Amino acid sequence: MKRILIKGGTLYTMIGKDGIFKGDVLIEDGKIIETKESIHAEDAEVIDASGLCVMPGLIDAHSHIGLFDFNSDEAVDDANEMTDPVSAAVDARYGINPKARELRVAYEHGITSMLFTPGSGDVFCGQAFVAKTFGDNIFDMTVKAPAAVKIALGGNPKNTFGDLKRLPMTRMGVAHVLWDTFGKAKEYLEKKEKGEALDYDANMEALIPALKREIPCKIHCTQYDMLTAIEAATAYNVRFSLEHAWGAADYLDEIVESGCDICYGPIATYRAPGERRKVDIEAVKMLDDRGVNVAIITDSPILSEESLYHHIGEAVREGVSHERAVRMVTINPAVQLGLEERIGCLGAGRDADIILVKGRLGLDTNAAVMMTMVDGEIVYRA
Amino acid sequence: MYLLKNGLVHVGDGTVIPDCDILTEGRVITKVGKGLDEADAEIIDVSGCDVFPGFIDPVSSIGAMGLPARYPDNGEYSEPVTPEMNVKYSIDPDEVNAQEFYKSGITAIGLAPTNGNLMGGQIAVCKTAPQKMRNRIVKECAGLKCSVTSAVKKRYGSANRLPMTKMGIFHLFEETLREARSGKEDMPKKRRQVILDVFDRQSMQVFCAASTKNEIDGLLHLMKDEAVHINLVDSFCFADSLKEIKEQKAGVILGNINCMSQIAKNRMELTKLVELVENGNPVAFTNSNGGSSEGREVFLWSAIEAWRAGVPAEEVVKMMTLYPAQMLGISGRLGTLEPGKDADISVFTGHPVVTYAARVKHSMINGEVIF
Repeated sequence: MKRILIKGGTLYTMIGKDGIFKGDVLIEDGKIIETKESIHAEDAEVIDASGLCVMPGLIDAHSHIGLFDFNSDEAVDDANEMTDPVSAAVDARYGINPKARELRVAYEHGITSMLFTPGSGDVFCGQAFVAKTFGDNIFDMTVKAPAAVKIALGGNPKNTFGDLKRLPMTRMGVAHVLWDTFGKAKEYLEKKEKGEALDYDANMEALIPALKREIPCKIHCTQYDMLTAIEAATAYNVRFSLEHAWGAADYLDEIVESGCDICYGPIATYRAPGERRKVDIEAVKMLDDRGVNVAIITDSPILSEESLYHHIGEAVREGVSHERAVRMVTINPAVQLGLEERIGCLGAGRDADIILVKGRLGLDTNAAVMMTMVDGEIVYRA
Repeated sequence: MYLLKNGLVHVGDGTVIPDCDILTEGRVITKVGKGLDEADAEIIDVSGCDVFPGFIDPVSSIGAMGLPARYPDNGEYSEPVTPEMNVKYSIDPDEVNAQEFYKSGITAIGLAPTNGNLMGGQIAVCKTAPQKMRNRIVKECAGLKCSVTSAVKKRYGSANRLPMTKMGIFHLFEETLREARSGKEDMPKKRRQVILDVFDRQSMQVFCAASTKNEIDGLLHLMKDEAVHINLVDSFCFADSLKEIKEQKAGVILGNINCMSQIAKNRMELTKLVELVENGNPVAFTNSNGGSSEGREVFLWSAIEAWRAGVPAEEVVKMMTLYPAQMLGISGRLGTLEPGKDADISVFTGHPVVTYAARVKHSMINGEVIF
């Protein structure tokens, strides 16, 4: 039994209204045991955190690291099985390079968990999973698999299959595939539940956890395509988040009414007619104010993993409080993924994924991670 | 006529003046100092604000890409050596306007050819405000954009044309200079003239994309005895060639650092920027990466990365203002807040290099308040 006591830091527990206070964290065998103002544990190894912020490890809820592998001269794309617009069954764990150097940069910047997702070259891109960023074997690092069904609307699937002169060549074609596939999956599930004979279909099987609301659908969409996503996802009563969500400020009411979550980002793309027309980080503030669960994402390695700091910084620049912005990369994505009992806060029983930070992340531009702990193990010290 | 009152004025050359006023008249700054008074001027209260010269991105693709288009307007890929092309003719004002660059404090951009050609053409400097175009162009021939990156060999090698390799890229570079100087008849006249103007008469600086160590080392080796000033563009592996870059006092224009895993992929050592600063190398930032641009936000992010790496904040400000102006040969007009300079001023609610909470409160371009 290994006990660690982190003493005297400013705790960002991410729990409740008064979640920020000076205090201690007790860890035992890789889990958080207790978080309070003062803890005495004589047998514990003490880590002095005075002058530092003690935060849950950060979560990037939408990454393609190791799937888009930029570690050799020629970039490798193992994120897109673009042989059929419905490729829901493919599992991202098998596409990832666990030695990708970005993973190291991630945990050195305090990002301890990521959702790794295929996509977005198909309409149904495959199964996303959540894993820790430190470890040797991606299957051992995995926290939850599958964690979400990845779906994509818009230009990516349309261009993939348009080049092949196959459905979908248009945005209406993409919508058709979306409706059609959900419809088939629902029928498949109904037959299965009634015990009727049916041919095994791996893609339909992959959609069952989404139809049963056990895992969310993560739907890549921007601008007007958000309405398409909301319409179809609502009709089939799936849990879902809008991924990227550029232009969300124009669809606030629809988003709020649908009860969906938002994974906003990356920002810092150039503006151009169509999908890039409006890139409105200020929407994050409006959505948060109206009670929508918003996570901020980097889409790494498209924007790099360390840019998560800059991403929450831009939210702060647009008026989000520092504390709310930090929630968007900790507890908010954890709740979206149904993992709030494991990651995203400093509550008792959670994985001891903890970072010690000098300065206020997302506000002070030079805030820096001094120590990263994953499952109670110190994996990085500045 | 505007009078900006009581700002913390960052001149752009490293000096900072508290409680300082700036008077503008028409297109230019007329006075900078404390306690200025001018009855006719409209007063803009900038107390509590940080005031900077408008930032400059020296090598932007955005504004000349011609989106949405089948072929980008800043890549004339009919042949790899096209120094006679001038991006001025490819400007799309709407594309510039759509970026709202001034919301990140950027008031001028050097519109540049892509990295796909060895010599892509000439950079044109344009202001970012939606104003009349003739008032926006600062300089038409502000630099020669070159590239020795893999982008060139990918473009031409795939069509079985020279250059197919890095060897081919440098061979073509060397031969192009030799042919221009030898006076051989088969080189188009305009092309020869631009090359000789740049390399023999230093009419403008060279902005050459070079990212990996072998690209940077190869370029600096080839340019060792050339008089023209070289600026390395992208230069993600600058820290691996520090000695050579310092010796030649080459400029470094860091590409978009937080994009496409540059830090992880290249094991970038940004702390080495401090050595370049101490050695007097000019450094600047650009939104582009591999010759294509991302959004305005990344300019400030790169500046923040430099500060995080240990570069003093006011040195970082020089990298956003004075140095890019010098590289482009426009420091007579842009880059510092001094009398006679263009009234291109970015007023932030804090120091954007130091805090994310800093927002642009006002932006002035050509003496016009646009935000």
